[in-house]
Amino acid sequence: MPATLFHRFVLIIGFLSLFHAAYSAAQHRSFLRINEQTFTHLPLDIIFQSVGSLFAVMYGVMHIAGDFKEIKASADLENKTWETYRNVPSFYTFNHRGRTFSPFYIHSQHSDESE
Amino acid sequence: MEDLSWSEARDLFRTWRETNARKSNEVLYHWHLSLNINLNKLGNEKFLIVEQVCIAAFDCYQLDVANECIKLLSSEFPQSLRVKKYKAMRYEAQEDYVKALEILDSIIKADKSNSAPKKRKIAILKAQGRYVEAIRELTDYLKTFMADAEAWQELSELYIGEQDFAKAAFCVEELILHNPHNHLLHQRYADIKYTQGGFDNMELARSYYCQALKLNPTNIRALYGLYLTCTSIATSQKASAQKKKDAIKMSEWALTKLKGSYKEKGFETDLESRMSAMAIN
Repeated sequence: MPATLFHRFVLIIGFLSLFHAAYSAAQHRSFLRINEQTFTHLPLDIIFQSVGSLFAVMYGVMHIAGDFKEIKASADLENKTWETYRNVPSFYTFNHRGRTFSPFYIHSQHSDESE
Repeated sequence: MEDLSWSEARDLFRTWRETNARKSNEVLYHWHLSLNINLNKLGNEKFLIVEQVCIAAFDCYQLDVANECIKLLSSEFPQSLRVKKYKAMRYEAQEDYVKALEILDSIIKADKSNSAPKKRKIAILKAQGRYVEAIRELTDYLKTFMADAEAWQELSELYIGEQDFAKAAFCVEELILHNPHNHLLHQRYADIKYTQGGFDNMELARSYYCQALKLNPTNIRALYGLYLTCTSIATSQKASAQKKKDAIKMSEWALTKLKGSYKEKGFETDLESRMSAMAIN
């Protein structure tokens, strides 16, 4: 699935909102310190915001990161056939019959001897 | 062949490069049609594609195209040994092996650890029909470059050509060690063992066909192989009654699988009579 503008938008908004939640949490702690109260738990709205933005970020990342690969190790090989797998480019030889189709090929005496 | 835009042709060339498809004629067709005009748009892949076209041109004996490619490559990389190898390959295509060997030897002299020219020298022996010497050279090569899977594969092909199946099987064993998840190698090993014949080899072939099928259930050749090995075990005199029973069960399973996959593709064939025609006794 290609990454659309929408997914990028969701990702950016998610990150901003996550940072905002972190900043609010820090603010809350310093507020408590000034008022000399003990910390028990974060306010509910900060918790909701951080969990919500976490899911938004996850949604955005999953669409932008590209397609997932199959978990099976042999998944890439499944569509290969022996016909192409047996071809080894570094050992190609070129004196096969196919070249006689070339208009530039002149059948020489030399190749007669070698055959 | 259909006409493609340059970007489609580029993607097609990339898949051909990755799968080692030897579609030389098609490569040249698309090169003439779209790619050589848009060469500068190709970016990173430009010289990879030029190399690909160069080899395709050797393959089709279009030496003017090959010369053009070599000129492009050597103007970009003037001192490159890799480009020098293509010059040697041009002589190979012209069957001027003396000159080709001269160039290859000079490359090896400049860089002893370069494996590509050594492989080309073996390819020259192969082209000259000197298979025994090619095998000897290749075994020597594998003593120094023993992790080279391509060379093991080539050696197994050469041994098969000489009908030395036991050694060919050994090479495929090496390949399986390199790449244990590749169903094609398991299938190949089983093919060789099946060709060798004999009861023990049949049993070994059967288990390798099974492994190939386990790795890739759509491997039709392995299914055929499983059927053939099972029927041969079932009719063998050496097999015990229990083994025969199991083999018959397995061959029936393979046959229903085969029939199912043919039906999926919409072929209705008389599979059983064809299979019996294929079996060796």
